[in-house]
Amino acid sequence: MPQPETILVVDDDPDILQTVVDILADEGYAVVSASNGAEALDMLARVSPAVIVLDMRMPVMDGWQFVQALPPSQRATPIIVMTAAQDARQWAREVGAAGYVAKPFDLLELLDMVARQLAGR
Amino acid sequence: LSADQLISYLTWCIFLVLFAVTMRNALREPLDTYRHLALLFGAPALIIVIGLAAQFGLVRPGPLPNAINSALLLTIAYRMVRLVDDFVSAPRWLLRASLVLLVALAAGGFVFAPPRPPWFALAQLVYFAGLQFYAAVAFVRGAMRSVGVTRRRMRAVALGSLLLGLTVVAVTLRPQAGWLQQVSELCGLGAGLSFFLGVAPPLGLRRSWQEPELRQFLAGLGRVSRLEDPQEVIEALEHGAARALGTAQAQFGVWDDARQVLDFSRDGLPFEVQPGSSGAAWRAFETQRPHYRFYRPSDWSGGPELITRWPRIVLAAPVTAGDVRYGVLAVYARQAPIITKEDLELVGLLAGQVATVLETRRLIDSLALAQGRAAAARLKDDFLSAAAHDLKTPLTTVLGQAQRLERRMRGDAQAAAYLPGMSLIVRDAERLRRIVLDLLDAARAERGQLLGAREPVDLGELAREVVVRYDTPRHRCTVDVEGELVGSFDRARIKQLLEHLLDNAVCYSPDGGAVRVSIRRSNGVAELAVADQGIGIAPGDMPQLFERFFRGSNVDDRRYAGMGLSLFICRAIAEQHGGRIWADSTLGAGSTFFVTLPLQGERALHATA
Repeated sequence: MPQPETILVVDDDPDILQTVVDILADEGYAVVSASNGAEALDMLARVSPAVIVLDMRMPVMDGWQFVQALPPSQRATPIIVMTAAQDARQWAREVGAAGYVAKPFDLLELLDMVARQLAGR
Repeated sequence: LSADQLISYLTWCIFLVLFAVTMRNALREPLDTYRHLALLFGAPALIIVIGLAAQFGLVRPGPLPNAINSALLLTIAYRMVRLVDDFVSAPRWLLRASLVLLVALAAGGFVFAPPRPPWFALAQLVYFAGLQFYAAVAFVRGAMRSVGVTRRRMRAVALGSLLLGLTVVAVTLRPQAGWLQQVSELCGLGAGLSFFLGVAPPLGLRRSWQEPELRQFLAGLGRVSRLEDPQEVIEALEHGAARALGTAQAQFGVWDDARQVLDFSRDGLPFEVQPGSSGAAWRAFETQRPHYRFYRPSDWSGGPELITRWPRIVLAAPVTAGDVRYGVLAVYARQAPIITKEDLELVGLLAGQVATVLETRRLIDSLALAQGRAAAARLKDDFLSAAAHDLKTPLTTVLGQAQRLERRMRGDAQAAAYLPGMSLIVRDAERLRRIVLDLLDAARAERGQLLGAREPVDLGELAREVVVRYDTPRHRCTVDVEGELVGSFDRARIKQLLEHLLDNAVCYSPDGGAVRVSIRRSNGVAELAVADQGIGIAPGDMPQLFERFFRGSNVDDRRYAGMGLSLFICRAIAEQHGGRIWADSTLGAGSTFFVTLPLQGERALHATA
């Protein structure tokens, strides 16, 4: 059995974070989570995810700052922006994300987006 | 010609002109006050005429002309008391006593041949000078109770009375000292001038006497329009207009459109002017030009009493701003000469200012109302946006977990019994999401901020992509596209527009039926049509079809859930792209929604052509 792909989920809302982790874990992905950009950077010191699912507005370190601070080894990792804001698409462009899902999203929409990024690597 | 003679002739001229002016007024307008003034100045005029006749030898000096002269002189004093009564009011007993004394003293002049007994001459002098001084004091008191130009005129009349009294005293005492001759002549001239200014001031002087109050009125206008209470505004305007004209009374009659009357009621005292009234107020309103009217006491018998009891003269001018007729400004006076028809133009100007203030006031009020409404609408939109936005976060968890659990239950035979319940949760969570997103979109549409970045979009390709998801055996959905139709659009919003129209087409066709989407080029724009065979739209609903929160009258709220936002959003998407949306429907047979959208290239084509 091949090693499952690792996905990093970053969101400051614990309920949403848990939901996304559950959905992705059910699909068989290896999921790690962080509740803001700074925590996510710490996580990147230990794991190298295949995809990052990223909320934008977060305390301590937001999505924009996180993308700026990405270590060189992770710069190529596809990012999926996940936000409730109207400007989801605009923000996704700003941080050079591979795609975006608008909250509240459909489960299939999220899974489809993740699968596409993994397939496109 | 000596200086003394010059002064005499000048004085004579002034009194003759005064008589001519007052006589003319009395002949023109049959009013008591004008008649009294003419009689007053008739006496000195007659004395002067007799004097001139004597100079030319037409009348021989003798006891008779002498007696007539003194009788006329005494008449002046009596007439002054009558004048006091006209303008300020004099006690009845004084009027009667002075009439009796006049007859007695005048008759005495014919009985006693000159040289008359000293006591009789003294009695005549005391009568004349006493009444003149009384008149002077009475007019000074009247002036203190008056305003503006009237106050100044009354002061002039008071001075005239005083000087005329002094003249006669000086003439009587002339034999005692030579210098009294000059005093009497100067006093006579001063009296003549004062009466002239007080009784018949030239128009230029009247205007300059009106100016201070007029200036005050104009200076206060800006403040007046900002007064809290509309009643206060009207009272301030009335007060200012009355002061500017030197009368105590001005009233604004409000045109009551519902009852078709000019309403002059004040402080519970009802007074209305009906259409067709012969009064100045109605004529001014009807013709929209200033009008005046003199009244006799009999004109008011049995009629309604104004707040101003029985005015002798009314000047009225329309208070109109543009097309809005607010009413009439009426200025009254108890005595005719206080305001004259020469003031009519001034009343017209004042009424114009009143109209401007009322118009300003109306605009201020309507602006405040509009701002209040706009603020309330913004507050509502802001609230809806904030609420909808706050709903998004919990909804993400609810929908995500519900879909996840439903998915797991499908693969688990043991959980099959719970699946229908779970599916209901998923379906309603999705409905809730639709509502939240629609509310947010509607708020953005209202602010004109619905569209994001535009890109070239092929409408045919997009339509095919969307329609295929709606194609079911129950609702056959087909697309018919003529050629390649590319425009610069917000792709997500055009997609949303199509989805809303297709959702509606399917939703309002409960018995199934085909849904046909067609897109074609028409006059340089793309014309998109979505036709269904559903329940249709009632003709009466058409005008409000695209309004926010509007729902069709044939739509059962429980059967077709929705908030009446989707067509509102569709219209905003179409219009913010520079397009249009409309519908065509037959109740019970189906509806067709049309959308036009500008196409790329067309404009460039026209630009180069």
